[in-house]
Formats: sequence, C-alpha cells, structure tokens
Amino acid sequence: MFKSLCFLLKKDCRMMVSGKFFLMSLGFLVLYTLYVNFGYIKFMNASLYNVYLYDPEGTQTTVSTLVQQVSSKEALDAVLLDDTNGVGIDASSGQPQLVFYKGTQNADRHRADYALSLLQPSGNDSAELIGCHTPEQKARKEITCELLFFEIAAVGFLGIAAVLFKEKSMGVIRVHAILPLQKNLFILSKLAIFLLSDLAFAILLTVLNVGLADTASILPAVLLQTALLSLIMALTGLVCALLLKDFRQFTLAYLFIAIFVATPVFLSANTAVKLDWISFHPFYHIYMGLKNAYFGTPSHRVVYYLGCLAAIAVLLAGVQRVFQREMGKEG
Amino acid sequence: MIEVKNLTFSYDKDKQALHGLDFTVEDGEIFGFLGPNGSGKSTTQKILTGILKGHGGKVSLFGQDISAAHTQEFFQKIGVLFEFPYLYANLSAVDNLKYFSSFYPKEQLRGIEEVLEELEFKADFLKKPVSSYSKGMRQRASMARALISNPKLLFLDEPTSGLDPSGAVLFRKIIEKERKKGTTVFLTTHNMLDADLLCSRVAFIADGEIKALDTPRSLKEQGSNHCVVIDYLYQGRREEKIIGVSELEAGIPFVHDEIIRIHSQEPTLEDIFIQYTGRGLS
Repeated sequence: MFKSLCFLLKKDCRMMVSGKFFLMSLGFLVLYTLYVNFGYIKFMNASLYNVYLYDPEGTQTTVSTLVQQVSSKEALDAVLLDDTNGVGIDASSGQPQLVFYKGTQNADRHRADYALSLLQPSGNDSAELIGCHTPEQKARKEITCELLFFEIAAVGFLGIAAVLFKEKSMGVIRVHAILPLQKNLFILSKLAIFLLSDLAFAILLTVLNVGLADTASILPAVLLQTALLSLIMALTGLVCALLLKDFRQFTLAYLFIAIFVATPVFLSANTAVKLDWISFHPFYHIYMGLKNAYFGTPSHRVVYYLGCLAAIAVLLAGVQRVFQREMGKEG
Repeated sequence: MIEVKNLTFSYDKDKQALHGLDFTVEDGEIFGFLGPNGSGKSTTQKILTGILKGHGGKVSLFGQDISAAHTQEFFQKIGVLFEFPYLYANLSAVDNLKYFSSFYPKEQLRGIEEVLEELEFKADFLKKPVSSYSKGMRQRASMARALISNPKLLFLDEPTSGLDPSGAVLFRKIIEKERKKGTTVFLTTHNMLDADLLCSRVAFIADGEIKALDTPRSLKEQGSNHCVVIDYLYQGRREEKIIGVSELEAGIPFVHDEIIRIHSQEPTLEDIFIQYTGRGLS
C-alpha cells in the first residue's frame, strides 16, 4: 500500500510539474513577498497626507518633522496645486488657517485633524498599550495571513481542480478503477501532495514576510490552521472537479467561492464593515483561526476543531462517492 | 472463468440496462460480446471488472462470487483495454507503462520494450509524449498497458478501433497468441470481422438481453439457405446458377464449358445479427 502511494505521489508530482503548478506557486510567493516588502509596508508606513506650513513669523514652535515648511503664500498655493491631497497651514497671521482642496466631508475632517495634530505632535496620548507588536510587524502579519488565506482558498483550490480536470479529460481515472490498488489512495495522494505544498508555501511566505524570529514562535499554530484550510479546500476542489462537467463550469463555482465566500470574510475581518450573519459563515472562523495563529493567540475551542474535522470527513465521503461515479462513467 | 446468471442492472429506477443475462466463458476461450451502442455491452463489462456495483443476479469470476472476487489479487489477474486509449498525454508510452505496471508484482510483469516491440510500436515515439501520437499509436500503447501484467483474463473493448488494416491484423494475431497462452478473452465489439475471425463463441446483445449465443460458424449455418452460386461460361456466354449444396454431391448438375467461381450463400455474422435483433450494429 505504501509503495502504491509512493507511485501515485510521484505521478501527481509529475502532473503538477507539467501543469506548472509549482512554478505558479513560486511565482505567487515572489509576487506576494515583493508586494509585502516593497509595496504594502511602505504604503502603510507613508504619511497619510503631506502637510505644508507657511509660518514666516515662526509662531508654531512644536511642529512635527513630518510637516514641510514653505517660504511664501504663493509657494504654498503652488505646492497644493501639485499635491491636491495635501493640506496647507497658513500661520502668517499667528493663528493656523487650513488650506486644501475640498474632498469628501469625512476625509476633509480627517485631513484637518491630522494636519493640526502635527503642529502639536507631543500632545497628550492616553492610549493604553495592549500589545507588543510594532505597527509594521502587525501589518506584516495581517497581510501575510490574508495572502496565505487567499493563496490556499483560491489559487490552491484552482490548482487541484486543474490537475484533476486534466486527468479526467484524459480518462485515466477510469484506468485506476481496474488497477490492483486501494482506490482511496488515488485521493489520498492528491490530498497529501497539495497539503505538503501548502504547508511549504505557508512556511516560506511567513518566514519571508513576518521574519524568522517571529515565525519560530507562531509557526506550529499557523501550520495547523493552514493544514485544516488546505484539506477543506483541496477536498472541495476535488468534489467540484469530479462533479462538474468541464473547466468552464468549474470557473463559475470558483467565482462563487472567490467572490461570495471570501469577500465577506475579508470585509468582516479586516474592515469596519460589520455583518451580523458573519458568525454563521464557516470560512470566517477558519480565517480568524489563521489570523489568531499569526498573532500568537491560536484558538483552543474544541467546537472549532470538531467542526473542521467534521467538514473534512463529510467532504471526504463526498469525494469518494463522486470518484466512484467518475470511474464508472462512459468514455 | 466467468459465470453469469440472471444478471440485471439499472442506472435509474426507470432505466433498466440489463434484463437477466445468462452466459458462461470457459478458460482459454475468446468470447465475443456483440451489440450496438447502448445495448448493455459496456455495462456488462463494467460489472465484470468491478467498476459498476449494485447489480442483480449471480456473477462469478475465477470461481468466486463477484463481491468477493474484486480484491487486489483479482485486479492483478485481469487486463482491460478500454474503448478509448486512456493514457497520460504528458507522459511517453514507456513512462505510462512504467507507471501503470508499478502496481503489479514485479515477477508477473513483461518487459515494457518487449510488449511494445510485439505491438510494432515505432521506436522513435517511445520517449515522446502520448499527446504527439496518432490514434493507432495510442491504441497500441493502451493494448500494451492491458498486456503488460500477463493477465489471465483479458477484457478488450473494440481492440482494433483506430487501427489501419495491417494494425488490425497484428492485433488479431496478438489476441490469438494470448488465447494460445491460456488467457481467457472477453471481447466487446461492433466489428463482425474481429468476432468472426477470433471468437470461439459470440453472444448477440440488444436492449439488455442476449438474443443468441453460439459459435460464429453455427450461427452462420443456422441462417444459411444451404445454396451455392455458380458462375460459369457456356458457349462463350457467362452465366450464373443457384443450386442446393446437396445437388453438388454428384458433381455440377448442368452443362458448362468452364466454372469461373463457386460462392457459398452463407450469410455474414452481421446478417445473422440483424436477423436476431432486427437491427444493425452501428
């Protein structure tokens, strides 16, 4: 049995290599890493708006280093003409007057508060310290978690279905029906290879974007959550690929999953949008499980793990059923 | 080797595909299963090979009831050629055979090169991916997959489909060679020539029922009018006469200068099939 599994794994590896799956995963890894390190973090670190100050008398004494001084009223107008998002402060009369191009009401209020706050950067800060993550590290963990979830839920799901559709179109699944091997090994091999591939991806993505030191402490929990998500998505991909007629039908299912399943989860977990029903969304709990693992507070709720295992068991039974059906199909 | 009694099968509640088939296949026999599309041929083969479950009636293979027979040992003893050449298109014929044969015990296997050589597989294509093969080459690689494990029972579905005439002759020779080795062959086909030339016995199946089962010779004899057509020359003119075979015993019973040909009026297997089932095979 072990020998048969090895042959199946070897063949699945070849299928994935020929389907450029590993190359695609590597490409995504590079893309995500570049995005996190050279895009997202810099963007998150950037000042919200450029603030320009015209203060010929030097009336403002506690100005933040983020504020750029201009030499004349004309220079202030000229710079705001170029940087329409920027906020100007004209302190030539002794009292700071705000000058900026009108945007939306909420954004304008925010811009005004932000610009004025920079005139007194050491003002009273009464916020309570509740965590030891620096804003950058927090941002890194958040985005790494989102990208990993997206990679497994959407890209990995698409990958396993693509491999299976290829085998389905070649009819070779039917040949396995008459080979002297345990038929479940065919499914097990695919699950194993996609699970290993997802775990390797999770390790690399976390090390490259969260850093080695932090990764060491959170990795076991992250890998556990990755494994649960990976198995659920791989089994869903197998069911869809075996059940649906062709790749075109599958892309519709894929769109449904990508848009209607992932979007509310991301919105609810990462933005101010609150959806009352989100606690009934199974992927929300899986995403939060992964996020909590990244922030060093992994879930210990037995119900959550039982739910995941039950989902895996149900999906596995479904895969076995549709796999049997596929083997018995006409050519 | 195969014993089938009152075999029934339904895909849906309303769609019964097999209505009580009865037949046996002896050891070392080439048994032809002939029928048009949708007649129940493939369903029967799938039940025998363990792909379809949930049939009615009694089926035994290798002397064992089918439910107990479909073990790994059973699959080691059978070889199956499907109607279409199912192969990994991204792998070469050799890599396909290496992969599929890896599930069988080593001592049971034939050499990959030896089998492909027997099938006159073009050497240039051995390492090329299957996607670059012609239909005939794919069929040869598929046949090699069915033969590589030295099966005791061989299920062949349209073995000569996609082959040119010389390829079809080669395949018939190989099937005959397998029979001589003692392999039992269950041949599912539309091709009456294959059935006529290869099969010890044939069963005609239509609408999920066996309409006739006998040797091809007997079936043809049963449908024969026992006459011959004699084409001859007499006084420079070419003429034709139909006479009963019994009349020939005393010699040609009419005056003639030269006999050009004598042709038996024996019907083809296809004629007999139509006679029994009321329709053709295609």
